[in-house]
Amino acid sequence: MELFSNLALGFGVALSPLTLFLAVVGCFLGTIIGALPGLGPSNGVAILIPITFSLGLDATAALVLLTSVYYGAMYGGRISSILLNIPGDEPAMMTTLDGYPMAKNGRAGDALVISGVASFVGALLATLALALVAPYLARIAYKFGPAEYFALYALAFATLGGMASNNQAKAALASFIGLGIALIGLDNNSGFTRFTGGNLHLSDGVDFLVAIVGLFAVSEVFVFIETHGKSSAVGVKLGKVTVPWKDLWETRWTMLRSSAVGFIAGVLPGAGASLGSFMTYMMEKGIAGENGGFGSGAIKGVAAPEAGNNAAAGGALVPMLTLGVPGSGTTAVLLAVLMTLNITPGPTLFSDRPDVVWGLIASLLIANFVLLAMNVPMVKVFVKILMVPPAVLLPAVTMISFVGIYSLSGSYFDLVLMIAFGVMGYAFRKMDIPTVPVILGILLGYQMENNLRHAMTLSGGEWTYLFSSPIAAVLWIAAFLGFFAPVFLRRYLKKPQLIED
Amino acid sequence: MKLTFLKALGTSAAISLMAASSVWATECIAPANPGGGWDFTCRQIGKILFDIGQVDAPVQVTNMAGAGGGLAFSTVVAERNEDADLIVAASSATTTRLAQKAFGDATADQVRFVGAIGGDPGVIVVAKDSPFQSLTDMVEAIKADPASVAFAGGSAAGGFDHMKPLQVLKAAGFNDITAVKYIGVDGGADAITQTVGGFTQAMTGDMSEIVGFIKSGEVRALAVLTEERVPGFEDIPTAKEQGYDVVAVNWRGLYVPGGISDADFQKWADRLQAVADSDEWKEAMAANGLAPFTKVGGDFQTWIDGVIAETADLSREIGVIQ
Amino acid sequence: MKTDRIFGVVVILVALTFIVSAYNLPAGNVFDKLGPKAFPIIVGVGMILSAAMLVFKPDTEPDWPAIPTLLALALATVVLVGYAYALKPLGFLVPTAIAAAVLSYQISPKPMPAVLTGLGLSVGLFVIFKFALGLSLFALPRGLMG
Repeated sequence: MELFSNLALGFGVALSPLTLFLAVVGCFLGTIIGALPGLGPSNGVAILIPITFSLGLDATAALVLLTSVYYGAMYGGRISSILLNIPGDEPAMMTTLDGYPMAKNGRAGDALVISGVASFVGALLATLALALVAPYLARIAYKFGPAEYFALYALAFATLGGMASNNQAKAALASFIGLGIALIGLDNNSGFTRFTGGNLHLSDGVDFLVAIVGLFAVSEVFVFIETHGKSSAVGVKLGKVTVPWKDLWETRWTMLRSSAVGFIAGVLPGAGASLGSFMTYMMEKGIAGENGGFGSGAIKGVAAPEAGNNAAAGGALVPMLTLGVPGSGTTAVLLAVLMTLNITPGPTLFSDRPDVVWGLIASLLIANFVLLAMNVPMVKVFVKILMVPPAVLLPAVTMISFVGIYSLSGSYFDLVLMIAFGVMGYAFRKMDIPTVPVILGILLGYQMENNLRHAMTLSGGEWTYLFSSPIAAVLWIAAFLGFFAPVFLRRYLKKPQLIED
Repeated sequence: MKLTFLKALGTSAAISLMAASSVWATECIAPANPGGGWDFTCRQIGKILFDIGQVDAPVQVTNMAGAGGGLAFSTVVAERNEDADLIVAASSATTTRLAQKAFGDATADQVRFVGAIGGDPGVIVVAKDSPFQSLTDMVEAIKADPASVAFAGGSAAGGFDHMKPLQVLKAAGFNDITAVKYIGVDGGADAITQTVGGFTQAMTGDMSEIVGFIKSGEVRALAVLTEERVPGFEDIPTAKEQGYDVVAVNWRGLYVPGGISDADFQKWADRLQAVADSDEWKEAMAANGLAPFTKVGGDFQTWIDGVIAETADLSREIGVIQ
Repeated sequence: MKTDRIFGVVVILVALTFIVSAYNLPAGNVFDKLGPKAFPIIVGVGMILSAAMLVFKPDTEPDWPAIPTLLALALATVVLVGYAYALKPLGFLVPTAIAAAVLSYQISPKPMPAVLTGLGLSVGLFVIFKFALGLSLFALPRGLMG
């Protein structure tokens, strides 16, 4: 069977000592990054990208390191959710709802183990599903011409924007600002330089890594200066950690159901891990009914969102690898990694660079076992690291960002631009303008414009060509629904607030 | 005490300076980021030059990306015009951009082109279910309705990939070339995907870009744009034998600063010829899908001048330059 | 309310200059029907429409920090910009120690821990970057290093 020969190729790449070492390092760093409040998968991966490139790793190695960090962060996010009632990252938000009550009831160890195993189940199943589904989806991609791609990008903006903010206008504005930034610099098709105001530094465009690190990492410093790093919640002590076999067995169906739902949520362009954990939590809550005890420390309430968000993280890799359209903020960052490595995601990735694709998948499978080991028996190590105060952590993040960008480009201009993006990120967050669509715009702007121009060239300027194929039409309808449906569903989809003490 | 320290400092600085000048005897500038064709040229030629003893220290490769090679070109002309230890990777893209004035006011005679020692043959391919069985089928279809065939290629409109089918059409006596549609996508693989998907009717690119797809049977090559059929791909006919006298090869080679002496230029020509004749280079070519294409020294300069003139004419005709 | 309105108006003005600048670009030709100007104009119009929504239907006012905190944020920005320019001429150690200490003090105003954080990060990160990761950093101003 083709799958097995592909996986064999992948393990051949992944089992090299260097790759294995990088996977372990990535898992370790990732779990720390996920656990620390204020650092999540997207900004964690973002600050590591420039450093990774300065190390001169090849494409596979760099990708393995960074996706291990990504998976690790998805695991680690639950630790501070459970112990501090502060989600380590956004997808771990739902885990606070039952994880923290469990910890307060003296079952912190159980909560960590159950959520760790749930993360493992979700991530493992999703990685296997990725290996099964992605090659087929890659073949479907042959049906994507310029018009279809343009519609697909519109869908990504619409669903991500629709979910990301409470105000569609602000999500749309953020997307357009990102697209506008992407247009700065030399236009390859015509040879004209656009919107640089005569500034030579801008003629090669705004480097998306500068924007990502600024918006995701530097802005964090400003937030912490404003709040003085005060977190109202009080940490819960962690006693002896044992494996609650009975509870694990009890949640087996929850984990499997949540993995499936989470994976599908992840595959949808723009939806991502937060939606995965939200949907699975609500689903399990519905199945358990009033007597399920959800919200007061139910074990299923811990298992469901963790299986869900880790499965979604795997699912989000599917559209990113096969179509080049990221399914979440973090996969947008990973797409930036691929683009910097000169790898074009899409159907040809699977035939041109099987070593990259299958090496990555095999590494993710290995990473899952490493992560299970780190997050269940060794979880206490990471609990210690949680004690790093923000007054040390945030300056460290800033300095790493500076060195990273500086070692990549060596230009003052990029550093100042990064600070400007940091200020922008802070202001946008205050104003409830989502920053992920800005990143998406900067990443996809070039592709989106090119596909539009190609579509118009092929059709001889006929605009209806954009909607003429069935695939394009369906994508446009989905984009429309994805953008406007949350307006009507908001009453039901309202994210539950953190419980207060 | 203090004086000795300063002296020691001075001596060590002098030693490190000397070391610097002898270790990096030759520098090869790749006018792009690591990983591309120019980078390959510098690294392979640099390595072989040292391995076969043409230079006595490893060649240092510098990546100088910017303006599609324009940054490296203007830097060489303005700052290193008489540096006899400098070589720069070049290819058809270099001459196409020079012909189209894409490097500002720079002209080809500001540097000296040493030679080409390998090339990626131009090809025109269609999807396996295409009605076109030969280049003539396609040319006739375009003559009947120029809008019926759209090409996809890996270079921007007006680039080398775009020029290939236009040169064929000109050779066929078809002059309304501005009516032929072309889209420039991100590389040859993308162009093939669009063609297999039926969004464009033909793909124009380099041999190395289509090898995998030819083997998997997804596409059919209508013509290769070389003098003779390419070894290893003998079943692909040349455009020439189908009656269209067009040769378009994406050559890989070098240029050197314009201000160096004729003796130094000849030295580089000899070294490059030695690389071309080496077994190491033949292996490197085979491994990277390049076909033999050797033109070195004075002949090469003449050939380059002809190519640039022809590209400039065609570019003017399709409105890429005034 | 006010913030959204002001921001909306600013975006509209920026978008207008964007569109004007796009209008001066050449139109397309047969190989590139839209040319370099069409998509920027679409994006500019999109910006104006969504910004207009903000002007007409603003959200509730975000809770901006008080003046002293805003000044602290401004100071942090100045420190970061200064850091960016100091990194090359002054080497890694000194600027990093100062910038990290200031930021640390701003997050948690305790002088001693802040100074220690600055020193610790500066030396610790230098060791990691230089020796574990092999980045080419200069510890001190290059003039001093011979």
